[in-house]
Amino acid sequence: MAIIVPLAGAFLAPLVDILVKRTNHPRALDYFALAVTVGSLLLVVNIVMSTGGNDIIIYRLGGWVSPLGINLVVDGLGLLIGIIVAGISTLVVIYSIVFMKDEGGLGQYYTLMLLLTAGMLGVALTGDLFNLYVFFEIMSISSYALVAFRRSKISIEGSVKYLIVGSLGTTFILIGIALLYGITGTLNIADLAGKMAVVNTIPASTPLILIIALTLFVVGFGMKIGMIPFHAWLPDAYQSAPSPISAIMAGGTAIVGVGVLLRVGYLIFGAPMVGPLLIGFGVVTMVLGALMALVQRDLKRLLAYSGISQMGYILFGVGMGTALGITGGLFHMLNNAIYKSLLFLAAGAIIYRVGTSRLDELGGIGRKMPITAGVFMVGALALAGMPPFNGFASKLTIFLAGIDAGYSILSGVAAIISAVTLTYMIRAFIAIFLGPTTRRFAKVKEAPGAMIFPMIVLAAFCILLGVLPQLGFDAVEPAQMILINPSNYVKEVLLGV
Amino acid sequence: MNLNYTIAMMLIALGIYCLLFKRNLIKLIIGLSVITDGAHLFFISMGFRAGGIAPIFIANLASNSTDFASLAVDPLPQALVLTSIVINICITALALSLAIYAYRHYKTLNPFNMRRLRG
Repeated sequence: MAIIVPLAGAFLAPLVDILVKRTNHPRALDYFALAVTVGSLLLVVNIVMSTGGNDIIIYRLGGWVSPLGINLVVDGLGLLIGIIVAGISTLVVIYSIVFMKDEGGLGQYYTLMLLLTAGMLGVALTGDLFNLYVFFEIMSISSYALVAFRRSKISIEGSVKYLIVGSLGTTFILIGIALLYGITGTLNIADLAGKMAVVNTIPASTPLILIIALTLFVVGFGMKIGMIPFHAWLPDAYQSAPSPISAIMAGGTAIVGVGVLLRVGYLIFGAPMVGPLLIGFGVVTMVLGALMALVQRDLKRLLAYSGISQMGYILFGVGMGTALGITGGLFHMLNNAIYKSLLFLAAGAIIYRVGTSRLDELGGIGRKMPITAGVFMVGALALAGMPPFNGFASKLTIFLAGIDAGYSILSGVAAIISAVTLTYMIRAFIAIFLGPTTRRFAKVKEAPGAMIFPMIVLAAFCILLGVLPQLGFDAVEPAQMILINPSNYVKEVLLGV
Repeated sequence: MNLNYTIAMMLIALGIYCLLFKRNLIKLIIGLSVITDGAHLFFISMGFRAGGIAPIFIANLASNSTDFASLAVDPLPQALVLTSIVINICITALALSLAIYAYRHYKTLNPFNMRRLRG
């Protein structure tokens, strides 16, 4: 089973760090990290190719039968998240080779980065609730440390906020897991889903404990993905982290958070219970995030708030619980990962060459950095949902699904917010790239090739998925099937195929 | 038995109170560990059985596995809480080291005086 290999490969990083220090090859570590991420990406792609994304593969750790032992489950949702995570971390490592060149402590940086990747893949592909918690903590701890990586004033501040809020969130998740274990006596997600289905069929008695557990889960994961009442840490953390880390957090960690919320919510609690909650939080998040983004003066902070707002779209889409809504939400999740990390990488390129990300200081560098300006434009238009790009297809799907499911007013709100998004992205683009070139930026050059390459790849995906949205729908379909119809998942995991 | 649950809930409530109202980074970190400890106590109480034996299968304590299962305490929460305690130690260590850095930069531990990021 190929699934265990990316995890093992990622955990090897500290060892290689020591080896590299002994052997005096300063660049070897970069290439090792690159090799590991490329390797895990290839393995995930390989699984997708061999199963077509429709089958469910179960890997039982230690060979125990399903409800007893811990098992890894490769299903549509896990693969979708896995491929996003592996792809983005590969691109981010390529980007980091140049971006982090002048920083000390690269050993720690890549160790943490690979741990983060391993944690995210683990969360995506596990079939056991507690195992999920452990991987989630691995992911969280390495991201706290990565935010603080530069140890400067702001990065320490951002990291402290992130750590306090984040670990409160994971503690809530732990209590939620304990409650579920108390009710059902199992922690296997499939087994839980089966037993909860039995609990839910008894009418008029959705136990209070279940509601408490659900609240704990939603609050806990909501803290991680920056849902609006719990979002305060997110802009600080994204602004103060090194740009590649902001990209991997926006494109990876947040997506994993949503995926887990969906898996726990839909498989264990069932759509009728979770859906309205997600729609409510989603709409509030969408509106407030966009309004906050309008008034930002720092590029990365603006991107962070727009990330919050896009998260609202995803929650709104999947919260509807209809096939179309979930497809739209998941497709938007894929797109959001692509253009959000593209924009953060572009912001990183600007910081790398110009040294600031404040909008009022920047201006007129479009002629100096034409490629960066181009990919930023692609990302910005995709984010705002303009037609030839991928954001358009997924947002349109969400609007249509909203009208279908009887939430026309909320769909209208979503469309208006889309226009607001266009406003602030265009404002940012003009502020950064257009206008006369001031003397301060006269010597600014285009970003180096290793930074350009990941951005171009991501921009190409933006256009590809925008021109051929069917590709995206095909990619998310297996994941959508899992969420719509969990009983197959339960059957296959428990009985084995 | 109920005492365990009551104390666990009190610990969690106390920790949340601490996070909400304290103005010192170290106290916030203490609050976090108090919450987590409450969660651990809650979790481990669930597998407890008065007078239960250790969940290690020995032939002279129970003749077959059904008897054994009716005697032993539930091993799963113990294993999970052990894991979780280790994770919690990592978080506390990281948080304390961040607090040290924060103190070096800002010369204070009051999180409300650390306001470089706003907007």
